[in-house]
Amino acid sequence: MPPKRKGAIAGFAGSSAATASSKRTKPAAPVDDDSSDDYSTDSASEIEDLAPPEGAVRTKKALDKATVNAVVNRFTLDSPAVTAAPAVRTRDSVSHLFNKHDFAYLHMKPDHASRPLWINPENGIIVLESFSPLAAKAQDFLTTIAEPMSRPTFLHEYKLTPHSLYAAVSVGLDPRDIISVIDRFSKIPVPEKIIQFITNCTGSYGKVKLVLKDNRYFVESNDPAMLQRLLQDPIIGPARIQGGDAGSGVIKESAPKMGALVIPGTKNAAGTAQLGGAAAAAEKKAAATAAEDVFASVTGLGDNDQDDEDEDEDAVHSFEIPSGEVEKVQKQCLDLGYPVLEEYDFRNDRKNSNLDIDLKPQAQIRSYQEKSLSKMFGNGRAKSGIIVLPCGAGKTLVGITAACTIKKSVVVLATSSMSVVQWRQEFIKWSNINPEQIAIFTSDNKDKFRGDAGIIVSTYSMVTNGRNRSHDSKKMMDFLQSREWGLLILDEVHVVPASIFRQVVTSIATHSKLGLTATLLREDDKITDLNFLIGPKLYEANWMELADQGHIAKVQCAEVWCPMTPEFYSEYLREPDQRKKVLHYIMNPRKFQAAQFLIDYHEKRGDKIIVFSDNVYALKAYALKLQKAFIYGETPQSERLKILENFQLNDKVNTIFLSKIGDTSLDLPEATCLIQISSHYGSRRQEAQRLGRILRAKRRNDEGFNAFFYSLVSKDTQEMFYSSKRQAFLVDQGYAFKVITHLSGIENLPGLAYSTLAERKELLAEVMLQNSDAGAEEGDDFDGAKNLSYNANMKKRGAKYKRSMGRLAGVSGGDGMAGPLVWRMLLDARV
Amino acid sequence: MPRAVKGVLVECDPSIKAIILKIDEDHHHAFIVEDLDEDHLVVKEAKLAELKERLEKILEKTQMMEKDDDSDPDQPG
Repeated sequence: MPPKRKGAIAGFAGSSAATASSKRTKPAAPVDDDSSDDYSTDSASEIEDLAPPEGAVRTKKALDKATVNAVVNRFTLDSPAVTAAPAVRTRDSVSHLFNKHDFAYLHMKPDHASRPLWINPENGIIVLESFSPLAAKAQDFLTTIAEPMSRPTFLHEYKLTPHSLYAAVSVGLDPRDIISVIDRFSKIPVPEKIIQFITNCTGSYGKVKLVLKDNRYFVESNDPAMLQRLLQDPIIGPARIQGGDAGSGVIKESAPKMGALVIPGTKNAAGTAQLGGAAAAAEKKAAATAAEDVFASVTGLGDNDQDDEDEDEDAVHSFEIPSGEVEKVQKQCLDLGYPVLEEYDFRNDRKNSNLDIDLKPQAQIRSYQEKSLSKMFGNGRAKSGIIVLPCGAGKTLVGITAACTIKKSVVVLATSSMSVVQWRQEFIKWSNINPEQIAIFTSDNKDKFRGDAGIIVSTYSMVTNGRNRSHDSKKMMDFLQSREWGLLILDEVHVVPASIFRQVVTSIATHSKLGLTATLLREDDKITDLNFLIGPKLYEANWMELADQGHIAKVQCAEVWCPMTPEFYSEYLREPDQRKKVLHYIMNPRKFQAAQFLIDYHEKRGDKIIVFSDNVYALKAYALKLQKAFIYGETPQSERLKILENFQLNDKVNTIFLSKIGDTSLDLPEATCLIQISSHYGSRRQEAQRLGRILRAKRRNDEGFNAFFYSLVSKDTQEMFYSSKRQAFLVDQGYAFKVITHLSGIENLPGLAYSTLAERKELLAEVMLQNSDAGAEEGDDFDGAKNLSYNANMKKRGAKYKRSMGRLAGVSGGDGMAGPLVWRMLLDARV
Repeated sequence: MPRAVKGVLVECDPSIKAIILKIDEDHHHAFIVEDLDEDHLVVKEAKLAELKERLEKILEKTQMMEKDDDSDPDQPG
C-alpha cells in the first residue's frame, strides 16, 4: 500500500520532536518530500479515497440487502464481507513457527522504531509498547477507542471491538480521525481490513439515539435518510406516533451542545464559581470537553475537521414512539445493526422536578473520575453506561457526582444492606443533600423521602424479589414503579445476573443508567448482555497508573506453595469424593503453618491482616486453632459489627478471618495484608475483589508502603491449576505474582502448629471424619442475595482459561526460579 | 535361601512418593521393593518404565482437572 505509507510518514514527521530527530538520524527512507508537514489534509483525503464516505456505504448496503445476517457479518473481523488485505505471503525459514500468525508480509514504516503500536490485521488486537516515549499519548487514545485486555509492565494489549468503537463515537470521535491517529502511531500502515472494520462499526453505531424528552420517547438521528429507513421497517414503522404536521413525521431541530453544563467538582466547576456566573466564559471552557482535549492533543487536527462538519451535524431529526414500544424498537434496531444509543436530556426535562443536590465545596474529584464522568456527559446529555474503576478508587463518589450533575430523583441499587447504609452515608458526606430526602429501602427500613424529588437506596434483591412482599414493601415498590427517575445507579454490576437486570430495568422507569464495577468480567459470557441492558463501557481505569499516583495502594502479590504432607497427599489421592478432596488440600498442615507464620510475621510488622477462606469448616478450624476472631454467613449482625469495630480500633485485634461474605463491599481501610487460604475455584473476579479489600489502605501514602496479598496454595493439587487461572485478571492489570516456595524461618517459629507427625495424623483423622458437605463453600452472600452468578461460573470455562495459562507462564514467571529467590531476599532483608 | 531383586533407588518429593505408593498399592505391590524414608524408595528395575508412564498420567490428571470439572454438574459452588 505505497500511497498510504507516504502520507503517514510525512505527517508524522512534523508533529513530534522524537520522530523528527529520528528522521534526521536515519538514512532517508523513500519519503516523498513534497508532501507538506500538515498531516491532517494529506491523510484525511487519502483515507477518503480508500474508504468511500461512510454515508454512501451505509445507505447503499443497508437499503439494497437488509438481511440481518449481512449486517451482523459486517461487525466481525472474520467475515468474508471484509476483504482480506492483498497480501503476498512469502515464506522463510522461520515461517512455520508462526503458522497463521506470520505477519512478515506487513511492511514496516521506515521510522517504525519511534512508533509504539503493532496492529494485528486478523483480529483487531493492538499491542502498545508502553516504554515508548509516545506511549502515554497513545494510551489515552487507545483507551478511548479500544478495550484494554492486558496491561503488564512493558507491552499492553488492546482490542478493537464494535462496542469500544461505539463508545469512541459516542464521545464525539470521528472515524476518519480514529484511523488517521492509529496510522500515526502504528509501525505498519493500518491494514485495509482494520480500516473497513472501523468505518463499518462507526458508520452505524451511535447514529440512532433514543431520547426521553418530557416523558416522551423519540428516536433521533443526524441523518434523515436513516430515519426514513427505520420507518420503512415493518416493526418500527407502525410503532411511530403520527405527529400533527403529518408529512414524514420526522421532526427537525438543532442538536444539543455541551454548552454550559458543568460537572460539579471539576476544574470547570471551580472556574464557574469564581466567575460568579459569567456563563459565557464557562461555556467556552466546558465546550472543550475532556474527550476532545485528549483527542486534539493527539491529532492536532480536531478543530479544522470539526468545523467542516458542524453544519451538517447541527440538525437532528427525530420521530416519536410510545413508551410501550421502546424495547421492541430497540431490539429491532439492534437486529438491523443500528444499536440505539440512549441519552437523557436532563437539563430540558421540566416534568420531573429538580433535586436540590450539589457536591460540597471540599469534595474535589480526581482526574480519572473527572475523565470517566466527562465520557458520561460528553455532549451535555447523560449517556447510560458502565464505569470501571478498581475497588477503593472512589466509585461511590463518581456515582454521587453523576447524581449531582443530573439533579433529578435517583435510585441506587447495591448488593447488600450493609453497602446500602454506606451509600447513604457517603451521599450525606459528599453532597449537601437534605438527609430527609435520601431514603433507604431494605427489609428493615421502608421510608419514603420528603418532597417531590429524592434518592432511594436499595438492594437488588429487594427490588426483584416478587414473592412474599410485606404490605409496606409492596407499597414502596409501587412508589418506585409509579414514578420516573432521572438516574439509576447500579453498584457492583458484575455480580448480578442479566435476568435480574432485565427485571430491574423494565420495572423502574429511569432516564439514564450508570453501572459501577471494579471487575467487568465473569466466567460466563453474560457481560455482553450488560452492554445492551445498561450501556457500553464508558471508561476503564488503569490500576497501575492509579497505584503510581497514590490513589490506591501498591500491592505485592505472592503465591505461597505449600507442599502436601505425605499422609495428607496419599489420602488426597485416595479420596474419591471431589468435595472432600478440596478439604484435604485446604486443611494441609503445611498450609496451616504457612498461614500461622505469615500472620505472626505481619502482626509483628504492625500490619492489619484479613484471612479469607471460602470454606467455612477450614475458616473455623484455622481461626479457632490460632485464636482469632472470625465472621461468616451465620455470624449475627451485632457480632459482626463488634468484630469489625475491634479490628479497626483495637490494637490487640490485628487479624480477622472472613468467609466470602467479606469479598465485596466491606470497607476496611485499616487492612494492609491479605492472606487467602481457600477460594472459589478459578474465579478471577473473586481474586480481584479480594485484592480490592487492601487497595484502599489508609497508610498507602506512607513512604515505601506496600500492602501484601498472599495466596496459599497446596502443591501438586488442583489448587495450583485454579490459582493460576484466578490470577489471570490481576496479571492483565499489571500485577506480578511472585512465587514463594519456602518461607525462611518457618521451622523456628515458636509454637508452630502441627509440627509433629502425631498432631498431623490427628488432624488428618479429623478431616477424614467430616462429611463431604464440609468441603463445600458457604452458600449465601452477605444479604442472602445468593451467589447467583457463581453457579453459572462453573460452566463455560475451558477455552478462555487456556489462553490465560499460556500468558501467565510468560508474564509472571510462574514456574521460573527468579520469583522465589527475589522474594526470599526481600523477606530476609526486612527481618 | 536369600533372593536378590535388581532395584533402582528413586529420590523424589514426598508428594510424588505418595503417588508412587498409590500406584503400587493399586497394582498388587508390583513396583516397590523397599520403602526407605520420606523421599527415597527402591523400585524394581524392570518396572521402572511402566511406573514412569503411570506417574506421568496421574500427574497430568491431578494438575489439569478442567475437563473433569466441566463434565461434572455436581460441582459445589
